[in-house]
Amino acid sequence: MIDLLNVSKSYTIRGGRRNILNGVSMTLPWDNIAILGRNGAGKSTFLRMIAGIEEADGGIIRRHKSISWPLGFRGSFHRELSGVENVRFVARIYGQDTEEMVENVKEFAELGQFYYEPVKTYSSGMGARLAFGVSMAVNFEVYLIDEIMAVGDARFKAKSKRAFQKRLPTSRLIMVSHSMNNLREYCQTGLVLDNGKMTYYEDIEDAIKRYEQLNEE
Amino acid sequence: MKTLRTHIRVVLALVLRESRVRHGRSKAGYTWAIVEPVLQVTILTILFREFRGGAEGNGAEFALFFATGVLSFNMFRNTAAYIMNAFEANRALFNYPMVKPIDAAIARLILDLATNLVIMFIVLGFQITFLDVPPPEHVPLMALPLLLLALMAMGAGLSLAVIKRFLPSVQNLYHIIMGPAFFVSCIFFSLSSIPTQYRMILWWNPLIHGVEGFRVGYFADYSAPDINLLYLFTWVCCLNFFGFVGEWLTRFKTT
Repeated sequence: MIDLLNVSKSYTIRGGRRNILNGVSMTLPWDNIAILGRNGAGKSTFLRMIAGIEEADGGIIRRHKSISWPLGFRGSFHRELSGVENVRFVARIYGQDTEEMVENVKEFAELGQFYYEPVKTYSSGMGARLAFGVSMAVNFEVYLIDEIMAVGDARFKAKSKRAFQKRLPTSRLIMVSHSMNNLREYCQTGLVLDNGKMTYYEDIEDAIKRYEQLNEE
Repeated sequence: MKTLRTHIRVVLALVLRESRVRHGRSKAGYTWAIVEPVLQVTILTILFREFRGGAEGNGAEFALFFATGVLSFNMFRNTAAYIMNAFEANRALFNYPMVKPIDAAIARLILDLATNLVIMFIVLGFQITFLDVPPPEHVPLMALPLLLLALMAMGAGLSLAVIKRFLPSVQNLYHIIMGPAFFVSCIFFSLSSIPTQYRMILWWNPLIHGVEGFRVGYFADYSAPDINLLYLFTWVCCLNFFGFVGEWLTRFKTT
């Protein structure tokens, strides 16, 4: 669903450069894919590159599907605007029916009166509910999910899962999480990012095994 | 074609989002954006008229003369300052792949240009109706210098926003420069009333060409032989070139 052709990416941090991708060529298959790697390996940056927010230093990324923005704690909401105003903004930029989307998200996110308050007053759980509700209201073929599934109470997690299951016939997700149970629940395959190299595992369990090995090194 | 449509959709969504928070979250928020500068110009006009002791500039009523100057100057100053902060004010929204920093700058230009046109309409309309001053002589001739000033505000604001990515204090520098600029931009005097040796120095200030050019269009017999809109246009091109290219080169430096 996404082709990487000789893609490189690195960034400068205090004390040198860090490689995220070192000339990686790969075709990401039509699957629910977990992305694993140690802290700072570049998992979130990789999601941002797939989304097209961040550019590769070299190489080409070809996208054959409609892809969401990365859903994460970093947040795509304007803090001074209310939840409902943020929803309208997303509806407008994606060319969706504004009022229909406002109603759908209202029902899904269960924010009550907070829906009309500035996002800066939200708890992290409320922010995640809004983010998940907004992204599910737009029909993407690929959802990029950065840690956000782990928040919220059990009831909301179950609700999110049902909502995503409904999408499964036409959509897939690419997911970053530190919770292995979370990844097992949603993903069948895995990508391990380590020191500029990316390895694909057809079985998520193999990917997790490799990741645990890396952590012991 | 599809990308152009997306682009327009994004800019419009940003204009709407900016208008919601431009002046706080109060219901009267956007109304204040109009009322405040209108009051400001009115108070300044009264003050300056007292100082001048009833003297008139170029045969025109002083209140009108001053209003044409301060309105066009303020449009530049406020719009550039507003665009300067476009990037950090919209940072969270750049998480949507189609929303680019340039879109945020364009949205702010559109919103502030529209706001300033309404302010001009109110102030000048009031003076024409109640102070019995003449209406504008040649509207297209007024619009051109104004448009150039707005485009220069875009270039200046964008350039400052780019510099701000590396040097946040450039914001203070801008306000330090624009304070004295109020006194040397032909707001309460005309360029032709200045002695020749000073006039040649003041001439280099690009804002003068916008402000005086605006008056040339407004007043039937306004004499401003030194005004050169091509000089102003050169500033427009240089600042926009620096701003757009600079933004493109430094786009990923801050993430």
